[in-house]
Amino acid sequence: MKTPMPFVWKRLLTISCLLICLLLPVMFLGLCAGSSGTQFTAVYDALTGSGKTDSMLHDIIWRIRFPRVMLALLVGSTLSLGGLVFQALLRNPLAEPYILGISGGSAIGAIIGILAGLSRFPGVSLIAFAGSISTLLVILFVTSGQSMVKKDILLLSGVMVNAFCSAVIMFLVSITQDTRLHSIIFWLMGDLSIAETGQVWILLLMLFPCFILLFLLSHPMNLLLLGREIAQTTGINIMGVTMALLITTSFMVSATVSYCGLIGFVGLVVPHFLRLLLGPDHRILVPACVLGGGAYLVLCDMLARVLPEQGEMPVGIITAMVGAPIFIYLLKRSKA
Amino acid sequence: MQRPKSKLKFGYLSAISFVIVGFVLSVAVQSHGKDIFDQLGRTVKLTLPPQRIVSLAPSITEIIFALGRQHLLKGVTRFSDHPWEAKKLPKVGSYVHLDLERIVALKPDICIAIKDGNPKEIIGRLESLGIPVYVINPLNVVAVIKTIQDIGRLLGAGEKAHHLVQNMHLRLERVKSTVSKAAFRPRVFFQIGISPIVSVGTDTFIHELIVLVGGKNLAEGPVPYPRFSREQVLGLSPEVLIITSMTRNAIFEKVKADWGRWNNMPAVKNGRIFMVDSNLFDRPTPRLIDGLELLVKLIHPALLRESR
Repeated sequence: MKTPMPFVWKRLLTISCLLICLLLPVMFLGLCAGSSGTQFTAVYDALTGSGKTDSMLHDIIWRIRFPRVMLALLVGSTLSLGGLVFQALLRNPLAEPYILGISGGSAIGAIIGILAGLSRFPGVSLIAFAGSISTLLVILFVTSGQSMVKKDILLLSGVMVNAFCSAVIMFLVSITQDTRLHSIIFWLMGDLSIAETGQVWILLLMLFPCFILLFLLSHPMNLLLLGREIAQTTGINIMGVTMALLITTSFMVSATVSYCGLIGFVGLVVPHFLRLLLGPDHRILVPACVLGGGAYLVLCDMLARVLPEQGEMPVGIITAMVGAPIFIYLLKRSKA
Repeated sequence: MQRPKSKLKFGYLSAISFVIVGFVLSVAVQSHGKDIFDQLGRTVKLTLPPQRIVSLAPSITEIIFALGRQHLLKGVTRFSDHPWEAKKLPKVGSYVHLDLERIVALKPDICIAIKDGNPKEIIGRLESLGIPVYVINPLNVVAVIKTIQDIGRLLGAGEKAHHLVQNMHLRLERVKSTVSKAAFRPRVFFQIGISPIVSVGTDTFIHELIVLVGGKNLAEGPVPYPRFSREQVLGLSPEVLIITSMTRNAIFEKVKADWGRWNNMPAVKNGRIFMVDSNLFDRPTPRLIDGLELLVKLIHPALLRESR
């Protein structure tokens, strides 16, 4: 039944190269365009080191846009990958990276941090991270000892924890009245404008090992999709793989959410989108999600910065407005 | 073999002298630029007086216009709508969600920020990008007057600021002396939110203004913007009901009609429901005194008639 390895590797290489060819120009565009205008030649000069860029533009390109492009890339990758893993693990096409209550726990933490008047980084991020990790622990505790994949109990507890958390969020929002309310709302809508080089490096250091680990687990993920019984016969440790996937994914989603808030849609649709295009093999889908999801969010964030006249808008609006119609179109065509 | 060595030596020497000259120059420049302190007591380094300013709140924009320094303004925030010329200036996002890139692209010598409103992360990032930020923190009418003086001094408009401030003091004193003759303190409910009903607690400009004109703020208390049910408002039986509205008359007429159904409320009985422009009351600008004078008219109309 196994596909011969060389074929997969060749296909993986081709698709990765194609996606990198897509990603690099998108990143270049992200560096060129911004709310203060578009400068192609200046960015080209800055990248190649030829010519003199004026110091203001240099600051804008390297200290404002570059960290932001990198952040968009990381967040896009993480959310797409998170969606992919949860959809495989829970065998539910509606699963998204926030499914296990990570968003709710993280949001409660962030709102408490904002209400306490902490700074966005590291204060609010750390509390948000603690919040999401504790909801994860609650869910693992609730589902422990049950055959969790089989009974959808994981999915249901996640939905319930999220519902509970959103009630707490509503409560906290309803008792807040001053300008902190704006901070909370912007956090809940997702915000990439906070990107700062040092912090983005920290995030990269946290996320990259997760990407690698998930790639190593991509073959077991394929087997899990075949169903428990068949997977068991291939000799993989189902419980171990499930836990490893769960914890790795939750960890990386928590890290991004706690840094830049809730950015919806990417994690739900990018994996499906790529699955429709590339087929169901996770050995290909994992790197494709990293590259494609990253490119998608970089592009959307660029639009969010450029389109509005009076200052940027939340990127989540763009991700859904651009993505949903394309996805529906693809879905319709694949059925036909 | 000698020559290249001496050449090398010369190279070192010139490099060292370059460094020294550079150092001396930079010290000279630094001593020319002056350290000043903003209203939070933070040090702000800049070369006085600044030529390119980005204002990070509508109130700051208004103050700069009032000081006649609008030609220095290179960027303002959304909702900077007074005076109308301010609407034409480039926008850098809203005061709670500033667009860092646009601010940097305007190459400001200084940004003027407000503590309650502007996110402090942005202020930190602007400073890390080498843009000095002067933060104001006006919490009451006296502090607003001081803020106008401070910004005037910062922008080299000390004289204009002096005139403005003198005028404000004069009008403030006139209001105080008029109001001192008041025999009683009308019960005022100041409604800043329509649905839900929101009023103002003790820690706001509006409360201070109501007290200054000899009214009793029915919503006073520790919560800055408390919410009320209709029942609670009726229970407080306000004698004057003032509604601020950013959206104009149509909504006011509806709200007024809604309150009008409660004939037993003193404010309704005596026909004392008013609408005022919210910008006169929640922005720490010279127009705060306009708001104050307007309140005297609404709360103590009899006193004004007497004093005329």
